[in-house]
Amino acid sequence: MASHATTEHLAPGEIAKPNTGWIWRVFFILVGITAVEFVFVFLMHPSTLRNSIFIGLTILKAFFIVAEFMHLKHETKGLIWTILVPVTLLIWLLVALITEGSFMGEVLQNMFK
Amino acid sequence: MSQPTTLQPAAASATLDAPRTGNWDGGNEPFKASYGKLMMWFFLLSDAFTFAAFLTTYGMIRHKHEVFTGEAKDFVFNTRWWPIPDHVFNAFPGMGEANVPLGFVALMTMILILSSVTMVLAVEAGQRMDKADVQKWLLWTILFGTTFLASQAWEWTHFINGHAEPTIMADGTKFFGANLHMNQYGPVLFADLFFFITGFHGTHVFSGVCLLVWCFIATTNGTFEKRGHYEMIEKIGLYWHFVDLVWVFVFTFFYLV
Repeated sequence: MASHATTEHLAPGEIAKPNTGWIWRVFFILVGITAVEFVFVFLMHPSTLRNSIFIGLTILKAFFIVAEFMHLKHETKGLIWTILVPVTLLIWLLVALITEGSFMGEVLQNMFK
Repeated sequence: MSQPTTLQPAAASATLDAPRTGNWDGGNEPFKASYGKLMMWFFLLSDAFTFAAFLTTYGMIRHKHEVFTGEAKDFVFNTRWWPIPDHVFNAFPGMGEANVPLGFVALMTMILILSSVTMVLAVEAGQRMDKADVQKWLLWTILFGTTFLASQAWEWTHFINGHAEPTIMADGTKFFGANLHMNQYGPVLFADLFFFITGFHGTHVFSGVCLLVWCFIATTNGTFEKRGHYEMIEKIGLYWHFVDLVWVFVFTFFYLV
């Protein structure tokens, strides 16, 4: 598997220098996105647009965690698709059940009017 | 294996001159990842389905309830409306009844993101076979993990005991806090989902901390150094990042939306 550390050209017993710049870069990206989310919570009234912004930013954060911290971006294409394709089913589940919930709410709230 | 037993063309000699390396001759790793790591990925995929089922249930039940449409400052807890999160989660340890909307959960999110960073640093140290660094970063990760668990315990305690302002029930009695049957914040299912979803996530963090403690002991004993690689740290790391990932979604759907 791809590794960020270079272990070649080392004398026996010698330890390579840490290569941690990319880790802290991802960290600051994640903190920045979270900060933006907090700005939207307090400066914007709840609406479908605000919820879409939150979901978009969440997926962006998820991308950085999975791609960089979990290293999926640097794995083989086959492994990437093996993980991503089943996950798309979850998007369908979410859309289907939230629509269903809205419909149930509609029915329950208007039934006795 | 003493004798190769696969079928060979008649022309081929009975003994092999060179190892066979075709696609179907075994020993291949098409994904260039070890068995253990692949299985961890598949486990996490199945776990993602479990958490997605929980969060989708939350979304569905939330949409079933009425949304409060007035000004946020006029909002009062009522079983009619789904509660506004920053009215429920507005307490901070040591600050009494001060109104700090989402302040504590912001801190918890930071702690968990930091624990993810120290976890990657431990994995990176493991790839360099740097035992001292692995120990250092594992200890930081364990520290952040247990801090997160303690924060969650505080959050649960506050949620269960309730705010200073109680809900007045239909018969005039006051009700503070929450349990599985009733809560002062709104519909019964709101508290139930809070307990189940954050509880299930907290259980994952707890198992993660246990695994990290075991990893730390094994690192200190030199188990991984003798083995020649620190792949176990990478596998536990995958699990730990997944738990962080789940929190990112719980945070959005429970506290922000």
